[in-house]
Amino acid sequence: MKLDVVHDLQSVYRKVVNATSRPGMISNLSDEALSVENIPVQCAASIWVLALTLLDQEVTFKVYSAQAEKASRAINQLTYAKPVEINEADFIFVLSDAEEGSLEEAIELGKHGTLMNPHNSATIIVEAENVNDGVELLLSGPGIQTSTSVNVCLTGDWIASRNQKNREYPLGIDLMIIDKEHQLLSLPRTTQIIENRVVV
Amino acid sequence: MNTAYNFAFFDEGSKREIRRATLKAIAIPGYQVPFASREMPIGRGWGTGGLQLTLSLIGKTDVLKVIDQGSDESVNAVNIKKLVRDTTGVEITELTREATLIQSRHRIPEVPLNKDQILILQVPIPEPLRFYEPQESVTKKHHAEKEYSGAWLMLFEQIIKYGSMTTGADHPVMVHDRYVMAPSPIPRFDNPKMNHSEALILLGAGREKKVYAIPPYTKVVSLDFHDYPFEPETFQDKQCRLCGSTGVFFDELVDETTGGTVYQCNDTSYCIETLNSVEALGGVK
Repeated sequence: MKLDVVHDLQSVYRKVVNATSRPGMISNLSDEALSVENIPVQCAASIWVLALTLLDQEVTFKVYSAQAEKASRAINQLTYAKPVEINEADFIFVLSDAEEGSLEEAIELGKHGTLMNPHNSATIIVEAENVNDGVELLLSGPGIQTSTSVNVCLTGDWIASRNQKNREYPLGIDLMIIDKEHQLLSLPRTTQIIENRVVV
Repeated sequence: MNTAYNFAFFDEGSKREIRRATLKAIAIPGYQVPFASREMPIGRGWGTGGLQLTLSLIGKTDVLKVIDQGSDESVNAVNIKKLVRDTTGVEITELTREATLIQSRHRIPEVPLNKDQILILQVPIPEPLRFYEPQESVTKKHHAEKEYSGAWLMLFEQIIKYGSMTTGADHPVMVHDRYVMAPSPIPRFDNPKMNHSEALILLGAGREKKVYAIPPYTKVVSLDFHDYPFEPETFQDKQCRLCGSTGVFFDELVDETTGGTVYQCNDTSYCIETLNSVEALGGVK
């Protein structure tokens, strides 16, 4: 089945809205992702679905991947969005085959907006192994009644980088984590993360 | 359904632009995100902001409710419903709990909203500081610096002049301890419903080209002073003349035969629903 750019992308958008307004609630994009034919690079189809939902000629992006050039060209051809340097990008994709430390670099160098225009900030879309099975994270903030926990399998010290980047609210970056099963976890800048380390 | 138009009226590019702005609005609660605000087949200032949000969100399985100052049947609500139905074919409802999207002008429904619903409010003037600062560049700077003394001063002046805060509607609120926000001209009675709301609340101002949002479970505090606390309108000892409800927001009407003041639910679908349930119990004949 072919992806319907009107109705499928609308349903992706609504799932992204739900995930972003209720951080910790995991949305499943597999229905839409499975209708994508011919993925140009090795990555989860849901990454393409998100790119099609959010990107067009009005925005810029940057890709971190072992095949970054190929992926950039493909996204550009698919959406007409313009590939740029990291510090200018509206959307940053960090694919699972990216070098170690890429996510931290993306968080550190991505634009975090200005106090006058905090919305001019990067949205980072990360491909993770799993958002259901991994390190337990305790989330709190707007969209969460008291606190909620998620288990994210994503390597590196990204939580510390994110805390450092988002320290001066309303400046900050917004994260979307998508896994191989097309499950989406959205962590807008308002969400506070506490890593729940088990002490043995 | 009129297939001469795109689904939900807009082209996909327009929807994407509104969607991107909306997502940033959700990420920064209370901050007004500028957006392009396309031309609509209704005049700017007549609900185009809310309508654009609705059209960018709506899908084939949604159920839409549109209200205008509590009424499902006013001209503005009916025409917006017609436009959305003609271009999407979605089901329209008047029952608050059946709706997945609720577009509203100047009221939050009486029936508590749930987590599967999105409330979209139409906003005429999104800038809470506009009353005393006409320049957008200056109000943006005030927001950047969290410089809100003017907002409090405005309320202080009202207390000095009239003995109490006289904001009838659109009483400014502080969102997530950061942004002062115009809640749209909802009565003060509805302000507390925004605090830790279960439903996502999106606000759209078409003429002023701004969207902003209150995610669920977000702290929303109406501005006030220690010695002059915020007080919603009270309708103590008042009762709806039709359904007998108490503790809801009433319209104050004049009974033309007796010349006396009578009260009636402002939320028409709530009133009808209450009437129907009373009737089903055999209460009213």
